[in-house]
Amino acid sequence: METNLPENSPSCGREDTEAVFDANPSSDQTDRLPKENVGEDDRNVDDEEIVQGEVTASSGPVSDPHLEYLKISENIDEFLSSLPSNTDDDNENENVVPVQIPHELIETFLDHLVEAKLSKLEGAAQWGDPDEDLSFLEAVHRISNLTKSLRQLKLDSHGSQIFNRIGGIHQRAMSFLEEEFRFLLEESRTTESDTKGRQDQHLQMESESTGDMINFPGYPDDVVSSMNKMAKEMISGGYESECFQVYMAARSNELEESLHKQLGFEKHSIDEVQRMQWESLEREIATWIKAFKQCATLYFSGEKTLAEAVFSDHPSISASLFGNLTRGVLIQLLDFAEGVAMTKQRSAEKLFKFLDMYENLRDLMPSMESLFEGECGDDLKTEINLARCRLGETAILMFCDLENSIKFDTGKTPVPGGAVHPLTRYSMNYLKYACEYKDTLEQVFREHSKIERADSIDRPQYLEDETQSLNNQNETQSRSPFSAQLMRVMELLDSNLEGKAKLYKDVALSNIFMMNNGRYILQKIKGSAEIHGLMGDTWCRKRSSDMRQYHKNYQRETWNKLLGCLNHEGLNVNGKVVKPVLKERFKSFNQMFDEIHKTQSTWVVSDEQLQSELRVSISAVVIPAYRSFLGRFSQYLQAGRQTEKYVKFQPEDIEDCIDKLFEGNPASTARKRP
Amino acid sequence: MRATDNQGSFLNRISIRRNQVVSMDGNHEQELEDLELFQKYVADRFSDLLSSSSDEAADSLLSVSWLRKLVDVFLCCEAEFKAVLIMGRDPSQVSKPPLDRLVPEFLDRVVKALDVCNAVSHGVESVRHYQKLAEIAVSAFEQRPIGDGQVRRAKKALNSLMLTLEEKEGSNHKSAERAWSFGRRGATNKDRAAAGQFRSLSWNMAKGWSAAKQIQAMSANLVAPRGAESSGLASPVYIMSTVTLFVMWALVAAIPCQERNGLSTHFPVPRQLGWAQSMVALQEKIAEEWKKKKEKTRLAGLLEETQKLERLGQSLIEFADSFHFPAEAARLDEMASQVSELADTCKKMEEGLVPLQQQIREVFHRLVRSRTEVLNVLDQVGKVSAPTM
Repeated sequence: METNLPENSPSCGREDTEAVFDANPSSDQTDRLPKENVGEDDRNVDDEEIVQGEVTASSGPVSDPHLEYLKISENIDEFLSSLPSNTDDDNENENVVPVQIPHELIETFLDHLVEAKLSKLEGAAQWGDPDEDLSFLEAVHRISNLTKSLRQLKLDSHGSQIFNRIGGIHQRAMSFLEEEFRFLLEESRTTESDTKGRQDQHLQMESESTGDMINFPGYPDDVVSSMNKMAKEMISGGYESECFQVYMAARSNELEESLHKQLGFEKHSIDEVQRMQWESLEREIATWIKAFKQCATLYFSGEKTLAEAVFSDHPSISASLFGNLTRGVLIQLLDFAEGVAMTKQRSAEKLFKFLDMYENLRDLMPSMESLFEGECGDDLKTEINLARCRLGETAILMFCDLENSIKFDTGKTPVPGGAVHPLTRYSMNYLKYACEYKDTLEQVFREHSKIERADSIDRPQYLEDETQSLNNQNETQSRSPFSAQLMRVMELLDSNLEGKAKLYKDVALSNIFMMNNGRYILQKIKGSAEIHGLMGDTWCRKRSSDMRQYHKNYQRETWNKLLGCLNHEGLNVNGKVVKPVLKERFKSFNQMFDEIHKTQSTWVVSDEQLQSELRVSISAVVIPAYRSFLGRFSQYLQAGRQTEKYVKFQPEDIEDCIDKLFEGNPASTARKRP
Repeated sequence: MRATDNQGSFLNRISIRRNQVVSMDGNHEQELEDLELFQKYVADRFSDLLSSSSDEAADSLLSVSWLRKLVDVFLCCEAEFKAVLIMGRDPSQVSKPPLDRLVPEFLDRVVKALDVCNAVSHGVESVRHYQKLAEIAVSAFEQRPIGDGQVRRAKKALNSLMLTLEEKEGSNHKSAERAWSFGRRGATNKDRAAAGQFRSLSWNMAKGWSAAKQIQAMSANLVAPRGAESSGLASPVYIMSTVTLFVMWALVAAIPCQERNGLSTHFPVPRQLGWAQSMVALQEKIAEEWKKKKEKTRLAGLLEETQKLERLGQSLIEFADSFHFPAEAARLDEMASQVSELADTCKKMEEGLVPLQQQIREVFHRLVRSRTEVLNVLDQVGKVSAPTM
């Protein structure tokens, strides 16, 4: 990683050296980074002796240690400015007369730094006294500059000793900074309870929706600013690696802890996820959704802000630190999603959890997109999209598994009474719930079945499908892949039900079965705007007309035969009613109706409307016919015994009986009124 | 070096031929040819690996660049395997014995391999951390004139490096005491301080996850097909399982991984199988290395660069311990040559580790993808009529 060292390195000049002679401490502000950049020809190093003398002299009268320190610092700065610029080419430096080091000045400075500051800080003093901290950081900065500058020079043995001492103290100061930096990173966050307390007081309104730490990562501003200064000094002192390592370690530790302790996210190996019970997995998925949301909306942006604030002078560094930090967490989260996508969980309610995860990844992408930049960011975005694809593909498989459930439902036992088949209920309820995720499923089918088609080498039939769909473009163009899938499921269900209808020996019952199931399907579809929209009105109209057909078929099968008994034809021969035939007619009507009543009251039509429609339509054909038959011919039977024998039902009895049809009751024999 | 370039591959040939042959039935001869080609392909790639591993120069055994080659070989074999197993093949073949048992077993191995990939990926993160520590030492030692400050800085970094290298697995880095500190914070925040400083950055695996056990589980039920099975699809499934197992095992041996106690050094690969010979030879070499290492030093893995860091680091710590300012020229020269070797090693790591990590992630995604594709084939078999949608 690159470091941006301050470029305005001290250079020398007569004016600077002269300033040293000015013993008045207030005459010149202590300038940490001398800005003068004077011509190089003008180097003059002969004044060093005087400099030393001056310092020794001045250290006497100045009794205030603080003022004394300021003075020394100032002199050090002067000395630094007097040195040749180290940005020159080395050859030139070789020829320069060796610089005389102001030994005593430096020694005094070092003593001061060590005694007055470093030791004190190392001992017990708390970091956090702004003046103290600033002056320490300035001292460290001087030391760094001394190290850098003196390294450029040819030193005599005494100079080397001094340089060695400077190097030692520099290292000590840097280690101290490192330690402090870590301490601030690890220990100075506003604790969670503090944050919560503050939320309660001031931020109740804002935090209501989340109830989570809104103040992530939770360093007070002054701490962030201290960290920024420390980082700056460490980087300019050449200790950037230590600085980054400490930062990375502290933050990754913290992030992982937050993920675990605050969000309850547990690490699971993919292998483990495969073997998890659904109940546990479901819980983990819920935690994952929450954790992912929290990371995407709060943690990552907080991390980014922090990195940018601490390393404000080094945007590339903060970007790379942020990238590395989030990558670890993100991959961990995504691997869980990948693991879940691999599990073989195939049922409706499970599909919805998968879709929840899918939506989470999809919906949080925009907020992450703004966070992740550059190559590393692209990489992470790809990872997120890959995980989303996996979930999408699995969701498709799960949804398409309904097809298999339908195809493989080949039971040979008809449902008693022609009632709604459990498969119909299961399929329709599945679809109804699924369509609550209609938009997501539309997207999933649109995006992820396409991906499979595009890059899969193992599914040649897709190619066939594609050519086919090209041929049928007119028909399929308006259909989304999801509604096509839905259509397919409905067709499969239909043909399966037709098969099941054939299991009934009684054609009328077959038709009742088809009506029951058809009605159930239609009701479900009309009850859900989403499915209705997907299936379309045309489809519904077609279904309704099918229903009418089943109704007609039923009517014909059951009631037309009965009505045959009431046919006036063949009863009148030469204007006379043929009694035996009439008796026979009544007999067979009674018998047939009895039979119908007995059988069909065990049949089931649970949809009230359909039930009443059926009864009404039956009554409408049977009762008028019977009434008129009775009205016309009952007179030919002798009152009393004969009438009692042949006219078993009054029209009202017929109506009562019809009203008892399709109730699924084990029927008692039809009885005429007492 | 992209693994996806299937140069010299027969994948294309197969796909062309498959497209020409409309019916797959009765093409047993062709299938045999495919299998032979696949075996030869695997044999060739591993023999390349073996010969390059004996090269003293570039890609010596278990170096970062060798591992990258190894992962590449894996990716290539995997692509070929998929072509043999599923491309254009009648799906029902996969659902017949013995494949109905072997393929799910294989997929189970794939799932385990995914976890190994993740663990190794974390491990590479640790190795990068070693590298960073070594780089600090290099930069401190390279400064001239060299004094107490530089030496102390380097020593501190190297001590941390040594501690990190010997860190107990699963100890969550608590054992890595700081090499050198002022002690103030250390006294008040023991745990933090201990875990702090040069705590490695790896993200651990799930609690209780063990690389050794995972490898063990991958080798369960791995039996070479016999008799008639050996000429059918059972053979490539076995070969690919073995390749996967070997590559994962080698990665686990090279890169620090969670819980490697009891990592097996023995593979049930019959050496008489032609395609396996180079692999067996490599396996023996690595196992030899593994056994040579002491338990303590094994933890950091067999990666050549890591071992170099360890050796040079140790020696440079000795230099630092005996350092007195001003340094003697002779000792300085000796140190400088070690430092330059350390710098070279760091450079290799810098160049290779991130790409290696990316490759491992690629393996991860590839395995996921292939698993899905195989499952899709199985799914199609499950459906009565094939066309979906």
